[in-house]
Amino acid sequence: MISYQLSPHQQQVKDIVHWFAENEMRPISLEADKIGRVPDDWLEKVNSLGITLSTATFGESDHEHMDSAASGKENERKGERQGNRLAVIAAEELGWGDAAIALTLPGPGLGGPPIQAIGTPEQKRRFLSIFNRDEPPRWGAYALTEPEAGSDVAGIQTTARKVEGGYVLNGQKIFITNGKRASWVVVFATIDRRMGRSGHRAFVVEKGTPGFSCPRLAHKMGLRASETAELVFEDCFVPDENLLGGEAYYENRQSGPSGFRVAMQTFDNTRPIIAAMAVGIARAAYESTLDMVRRDYPKRGRPFQLAAGTLANIEQEIQSARLLTWEAAWRADIGRPNAKEAAMCKAYAGKMVVDVCAKCLELFGTAGLDGQWVEKWYRDAKIFDIFEGTNQIQHLIIARHLYAPFGVRV
Amino acid sequence: MISFQPTDEETAFITLAKTLAEEVLRPAARSSEEERQAAREWTIKANELGFAALELPERWGGMEMTLISQAQILEALSNGDLALVQGLPGPGDAASFMRLAPENQAFAAYRRTGEGGQWPTVAFLNACDPGVSQSINITGASFENGYVIKGISRPVKMAAFAAYLLLAAPGPDGKTRLFWLDKEQTRWRAIPGDYRLGLLASGWARVQFDDLTVTKDAVVAEGRDADRLLSRALARLRVLEAAKEVGLMTAALSYATEYTATRRAFGQELAKFQGVSFQMADMAVAVQAARLLVWRAASALDREEPEAPGLSLDALSRAHRSLRLVTDSAVQLLGGHGYVQDHPVEKWMRDAAAQIALNGGEQDLLLRRGEQLLTEERETVS
Repeated sequence: MISYQLSPHQQQVKDIVHWFAENEMRPISLEADKIGRVPDDWLEKVNSLGITLSTATFGESDHEHMDSAASGKENERKGERQGNRLAVIAAEELGWGDAAIALTLPGPGLGGPPIQAIGTPEQKRRFLSIFNRDEPPRWGAYALTEPEAGSDVAGIQTTARKVEGGYVLNGQKIFITNGKRASWVVVFATIDRRMGRSGHRAFVVEKGTPGFSCPRLAHKMGLRASETAELVFEDCFVPDENLLGGEAYYENRQSGPSGFRVAMQTFDNTRPIIAAMAVGIARAAYESTLDMVRRDYPKRGRPFQLAAGTLANIEQEIQSARLLTWEAAWRADIGRPNAKEAAMCKAYAGKMVVDVCAKCLELFGTAGLDGQWVEKWYRDAKIFDIFEGTNQIQHLIIARHLYAPFGVRV
Repeated sequence: MISFQPTDEETAFITLAKTLAEEVLRPAARSSEEERQAAREWTIKANELGFAALELPERWGGMEMTLISQAQILEALSNGDLALVQGLPGPGDAASFMRLAPENQAFAAYRRTGEGGQWPTVAFLNACDPGVSQSINITGASFENGYVIKGISRPVKMAAFAAYLLLAAPGPDGKTRLFWLDKEQTRWRAIPGDYRLGLLASGWARVQFDDLTVTKDAVVAEGRDADRLLSRALARLRVLEAAKEVGLMTAALSYATEYTATRRAFGQELAKFQGVSFQMADMAVAVQAARLLVWRAASALDREEPEAPGLSLDALSRAHRSLRLVTDSAVQLLGGHGYVQDHPVEKWMRDAAAQIALNGGEQDLLLRRGEQLLTEERETVS
């Protein structure tokens, strides 16, 4: 049945993550933005608590099944996957706390989904088992974008030349979250540019690999505490065992889009998470503004009326974005295609968070410029309309799905 | 558990409603508009299948469906034609009041009349709506002396065909009164008008009261009881109306999608121009956002959540916004073809405008919601 009620387990995850966001992230939020990084001692502390950024963190677990079974509720069918729903619930709270810090939490990050999706058992063990509270904090990263291939993912120029025992990578990647600090990076490259998408391959490149370097970190409008790296691959040898999925995966899909498909499937899982973070930022701005208007605005007259209408519109927009996000996650959980819904929620939430933060800034007036979170949230928000596929790319995906039944490719 | 999966029972009803929308409602839309009345085939089938009694209590012989089920069914039906759904004879909006106060004596005669399954038509006039000025005046000091109602209303849906009128109006003391007015026994009149915009099959008429005297028997509720009943019913009605709007916008979206996928210009399908396909994407997102907010409000009202009335304001204002965007865009994307009656989109744009006028403007709904948020006041839900 259609339901918007959080299950006890979902509510528990929401409450725990919210507590963390409020008591651990918010206190360092403005300082981290100011210094342009998340303090190392803080990262070590949260790592020792076992807190990581991974879609798997909130996914299936024995605990979850026990919880569901213990509740005795028929509608919480034992074994029903809910990892994506849990992930978006948690991501909203992390976004509410601080999106830049959230993206810097130790863990595989956006590099996790492709390894989980097509990695061999050996690769999953090697690359995903390193994230451990008893070890120093570690990160994974996902490297797709290039200077000449942003939205046009199919046009990546980084090459992977087959040699004895592996591949040699040459090329450049930009805008890579946690790219410098990562223990490994999932890198997309082409074995032959003439093959188009079917020539794409995904490799796991480990930190310290000769020929792999990070010459520069970007300085940004917002999300300043989050590391955004430029990566360079110069005759970088990657062994066969680091080809994601192994040779067999690609041999079995000679007619398919291979590595391109991996990249796209990753987006179907990660876009709802990014959208949920945007919802979290918007909610933070809304709650802060609502408190301020209640406290500082006159209780009647034109300013009150204007604020009332604006806040109602904001609240509605946040609700809409959240529900679109939940729907995309729900479809992924029950195994239905969700590319259109993932694009919808990302397009909507990315635009919504910018609009919401702008309106909140307007309601604050110049008071919002001086040491207030709201100006930071506005700066942070804009990237959510760009990364993981720009708003325009999301529109293209939605349109393609609308016209697919008519055999029209747009 | 968060889920977007309809139940099997809902799926069966939706399938039935879709078939009816496709085979009966859509083909009858134009002729019903010309005749200013719902097609007979539709009203007969709706009664047979129980679509006129979705909201009525079971003990009355109604379906007493949850709002989340009704929302999906009404969306499917309105996809056929919203004007015909609005023009369906029966209890109409008053059903929500009957659902909430099934034992109210004022409704007893109506209940008996409809026991055979043929529910006479009721129009609902809300003269308490602060966003809508009505020149209706109620005088008289007490039940003993009765009330005297005079004045003329704004246009009301189904007033032209109604045998009964449910009137919500402030009494002489400013307190809300709900009156049940049998047309045969009282002297209210339906005044025809010159209606050309939309929902033309839904019996638009103004209601005139010529010093109408009403007695205690006609009072459904007064004072706080009336406020509570009105508030609860209006929350339900907002959701039901918003669901109908989702049906209409879905029709416009589907039609525009097919048209732009097949119509060619400059040597290729319209869909291949990003100015077109991106607009279609915006329309699709607007429809889905509205639908999910309607479901959210419906689900909350079914569960009697404290936030439910506020969510119903959200749902209806969002539905208004999406409806305006989608129906206007559909006409735009068809170009000149959208403007002429060879295609249904011009009618849908007109129906949409009338529907929004009928149910309170987006800005008024937003403002009310905003005032709730700022003052933390909540309407009654149970």
